Amino acid sequence: MDQPPQLFNVQINGVWHQFPKGTRVIEACEQVGSYIPRYCYHKKLSAPGNCRMCLIEMGLPKLGPDRKLELSEDGKPVINWMVRPQISCAQDVCEGMGVRTDSPLAQECRKGVMEFLLINHPLDCPICDQAGECRLQEFSVEYGNAESRFLENKVKKPKNVELGPRVTLDDERCILCSRCIRFCQEIVHDDVLGFVDRGSYSVLTAHPGKQLDNNYSLNTVDICPVGALTSSDFRFQMRVWFLKETKSFCTSCATGCNTIIGTREDVIYRQTPRENDAVNSSWMCDYGRLNFNYLESSKRLLQPEILLGDKLTPADWKTAIAHAAGQLRHFSSWEIAILASGHMTNEELWLTSQLAKTLGSPLIDIVPHTGPGDDILLSTDRNPNTNGARLMGVTTDPGGRLRTIIDGVASGQIKALVALGENPIDIGLTLAQVTSLPAFIVMNILSNETTHAATALLPSLGFAEKRGSMINRKGRLQRLNRAVRGPGQAREDWQILRDLIEAYAGRSSETTPRADGLHSIEDVFRQMSESIPQFAGLNLSKISDLGLQILNGAVAPTAESAELGSEAKVLESQKCG
Amino acid sequence: MPLLHLWQEAFGSIGDDGVRWIAAKLGLQPINIFELVGFYPMFHQAPAGRKHIRICRTLSCAMAGSYEVMDRVCETAGIVRHKGEDDRHEAVSVTDNREYSVEFVECLASCGTAPVCMVQDDLVENVKPESASNLLTNHQSLITNHQSLPHPLERRLIFKNIGRSDYTTDIECYLRHGGYEQLKKAIKMSRTEIVNEVKTSGLRGRGGAGFPCGVKWSFIKPDEKKPVYLICNADESEPGTFKDRYIIHQDPHQLIESIVISCFALNAKTAYIYIRGEFPEGATILERAVEEAREKNFVGKDMLGTGVDVEIYIHRGAGAYICGEETGLIESLEGKRAYPRIKPPYFPAVLGLYMCPTIVNNVETLCHVRHIVEMGGANYARLGRPNNTGTRIVCVSGDVQRPGYFEVEVGGITMGQLIFDMAGGPRYGRTIKAVIPGGSSAKVLRADEKFKIKVRQFDGSMADQEVSLFEIPVDFDSLAAAGSMAGSGGVIVLDDSRDMVWVLNNINEFYAHESCGQCTPCREGSLWMKKITDRMLLGGGVVRDPETLKTVADNIAGRTICAFGEACAWPTQSFVEKFKEEFVQRSQKPVPPPMPPEYTPEELVESEKITTTPLPRNPGWEETAKTGTI
Repeated sequence: MDQPPQLFNVQINGVWHQFPKGTRVIEACEQVGSYIPRYCYHKKLSAPGNCRMCLIEMGLPKLGPDRKLELSEDGKPVINWMVRPQISCAQDVCEGMGVRTDSPLAQECRKGVMEFLLINHPLDCPICDQAGECRLQEFSVEYGNAESRFLENKVKKPKNVELGPRVTLDDERCILCSRCIRFCQEIVHDDVLGFVDRGSYSVLTAHPGKQLDNNYSLNTVDICPVGALTSSDFRFQMRVWFLKETKSFCTSCATGCNTIIGTREDVIYRQTPRENDAVNSSWMCDYGRLNFNYLESSKRLLQPEILLGDKLTPADWKTAIAHAAGQLRHFSSWEIAILASGHMTNEELWLTSQLAKTLGSPLIDIVPHTGPGDDILLSTDRNPNTNGARLMGVTTDPGGRLRTIIDGVASGQIKALVALGENPIDIGLTLAQVTSLPAFIVMNILSNETTHAATALLPSLGFAEKRGSMINRKGRLQRLNRAVRGPGQAREDWQILRDLIEAYAGRSSETTPRADGLHSIEDVFRQMSESIPQFAGLNLSKISDLGLQILNGAVAPTAESAELGSEAKVLESQKCG
Repeated sequence: MPLLHLWQEAFGSIGDDGVRWIAAKLGLQPINIFELVGFYPMFHQAPAGRKHIRICRTLSCAMAGSYEVMDRVCETAGIVRHKGEDDRHEAVSVTDNREYSVEFVECLASCGTAPVCMVQDDLVENVKPESASNLLTNHQSLITNHQSLPHPLERRLIFKNIGRSDYTTDIECYLRHGGYEQLKKAIKMSRTEIVNEVKTSGLRGRGGAGFPCGVKWSFIKPDEKKPVYLICNADESEPGTFKDRYIIHQDPHQLIESIVISCFALNAKTAYIYIRGEFPEGATILERAVEEAREKNFVGKDMLGTGVDVEIYIHRGAGAYICGEETGLIESLEGKRAYPRIKPPYFPAVLGLYMCPTIVNNVETLCHVRHIVEMGGANYARLGRPNNTGTRIVCVSGDVQRPGYFEVEVGGITMGQLIFDMAGGPRYGRTIKAVIPGGSSAKVLRADEKFKIKVRQFDGSMADQEVSLFEIPVDFDSLAAAGSMAGSGGVIVLDDSRDMVWVLNNINEFYAHESCGQCTPCREGSLWMKKITDRMLLGGGVVRDPETLKTVADNIAGRTICAFGEACAWPTQSFVEKFKEEFVQRSQKPVPPPMPPEYTPEELVESEKITTTPLPRNPGWEETAKTGTI
């Protein structure tokens, strides 16, 4: 049995509270609603105490001659208030401590520091990306002067420095808080940034021989409180207050870092990490962060097409699905293979397994994708939902059946291949083999080498365009939210699969209420929760923003099957063909 | 840092290849070394001239004419000091033929012989502007013994052997004069005994803060498991202070013996002497002294057969005043930029060098320890005054006839005795206007001010009395009561020919240059104050400048990581307060108006830059606005 944490009595702004041992003073004050402004302190990094913005009045309990706390009439320790203000970011609470965050002295300290930070700060707000989420702006509103009394020339420093391939540095805006340096040293262990020169002429820089090019460089842009470090990708793209923020998570690898997708009018401008201590702390890797441009690629499939004669012709959804279902009805279950994907959501995988059951249990598997990983966040498993595939019964050994599928297609036994979000070339089939298939049904987002050979082409939606859930490598259930609408006539995968099942079974999907009862994605989830024990009692909408742990332990693809998947290169969007 | 010094000595400057080589050698990233090269001005990134001349520009030397010296040298050598686009002079200016180069440096700790320069590694004292060109050709390189006999009011304890022509720095001379006897006595005492003697003696730190040394030593637990380090702070850079220089250059063994005694008392196996980079000869002298002591088994393994190991290492600094701050020193010793640490939690006695308990003491303070062992703590406490015990070395510089060092009992003399009797009073035809009593960080005291301090009465009691500046006893408590501090004992005298705004500007430039840049108030505020006084000197002072100076200084003091904030704020606060009339006289211009808007709305409409579209219909509110009713 763990000991309950030791609680300390702390007086904040006149009210006594209790906090567990080891709580930082600045965190304690934030918890009770007295937010203390700060620049250099970050919850996940060491506290250097150099911005001096979090100065507050602190007091320690009076000790009597017997070294015990002196108590006042109400039984609480008497506090000796210190004359000098103290910083709150580097000290933990102790018994009987007193804190005043809004006394005149604390206000004065903040005004002073604000003024000092702004005297050499360039007037870049109109062109600075950080406007709208800039700490200097925020705290200026509360603690700044309306007019500056600085009449001198400001210190000039390098602007628009290419610190790395993805990060731009503006030294004049830098307030020398050293967050980026500490991040690179402590989290990424890639010591690349430092200060040179001294005093007010101190400048942040990287050594000329080295660049800030590690896979986590854009996190420094997130933590920079001002616009000194900016993302070269997002530079001058969009003002942040125009961005609609949707909570979601990244689907570029099995870690599933929690993100916020910033969009405006159905265009994604950037992704930023969301704090989730169970998954990604406060960080995400550059690869996943920038992996969203493929959703706006010109290779997007926009409308359903079916093969009439030898030409792919556009058709409407009803026709296309009917055509596909019709094709499948031609063949018996041992002549059909389904290539499912580890990129599909749980709901889609569930319907895929239903499809497989309806088709009579043909060969079905997901395609493993691997790539170099690191021990910080990036997983070697680049499928975001391998665990989901296992749980939904699509596969027990990811990639284990691919060999059989390849042999089947090569020998001609497999005549119908259903590719759901995967490219058969990735598992080793040739274009010729695919083209010679009598039925090749493709549901995908982007066109690739094989899509032109499809007999039925069904466009679906990308991760930011649909709702659904996935299970990450540590067994955490997380929910995707829709940030933008899909292009053209692309439709949600689960609906496509649902209609396909209905069409195959010969049932009309026109009746209301539907025969299969799947009107919304919630219904799909409910079906899942009724059959799969780990989902019992759950509800898609009720999965919190931080996810829910439903499995224990990480599950990785087996080594042999991993060979048959595709090797993804780091920093390349794997979906751009 | 030692590697950086070696590289610079060998190759003249530390370029990119130097940074990379040193980084590879130490297993660090190039940026870690690059950070240091930029931080410490003594490390040159581009080669300087064959003869590099460093001219001190801080207060005492500037008052004695070091700026004229710089002008003469530049003229003679044909050097043009370029200004960058942000109005900063380049640091090092080199002649075209790379023969000579000049650099303004901050206080070289020899203010008694102002103006001073360093040519390569040699100190040249008393450089007159007329003979400045001699620096380029031949220069005298001796530390001149300009003070022959101690003044009768002095009580020479530490400085007993300084300035004597018959005294040399080798160990034989020291042993002849009774050296290392106290070490032999100390090792027979127990550790706690020695610490108690220091406590009883009431010795207060001589580096500037005046913290009781015994109390500091008692922070080390006797049963400490982690290694304990002793660091001797030989980074004497406080403008106006020049005492440790002489101890190091003329009586090094006194320091070595004191360090060994202190290490024995604190159970420290390793001691570092952090000596400022501008004392290259001093570092050599100390290293030789340590070797001599090692030969006689006073230092090293099994010191004097006690079974205790005491190792002393000399570490050179490279031109940063902030390395005099104890935690800044520790950071610099660890090979990083000298950013002082936040206290709490990094108290040196708990988490110091390499996160082990560390004691940092000034050179003079450690030397006193030897004398405490000699005469016993109680006897030592009889010297000086209660709570201000012992002797201290006071350095007088500035506008006096005989600037120099004087070792006196603390509180044994008054300011007047010091300045008039011992230092010869003001220059011919001048009167004293102000005195800075404790190094440039101390608050200035006006010569015509009255101070209310506690003075010992005839019957021995202490009573409040109003005294003039010259009646204040030179000790910690009296000067603190007078609103200043005894600090490092560097007394700078200003006579009536000095413009206080110019003096403050010189001091502000020192602090702006030496600020480490870690925390916001000091980094931005020190440069701001310097720029304001710059502008005032050039004639651009506006009416609210004195008030701005005061509020800026108020916003720095007490809000910073280390005491440098107070150090750079106090001069401004005190000068502006005490010499308000001079500052006001320089601040006559009106505050410039805010930027006028480029246009007024009426002009706009007239010039049709923005078209005003009439509304398509006449909404009812226009009618109601006329009548004022709804």
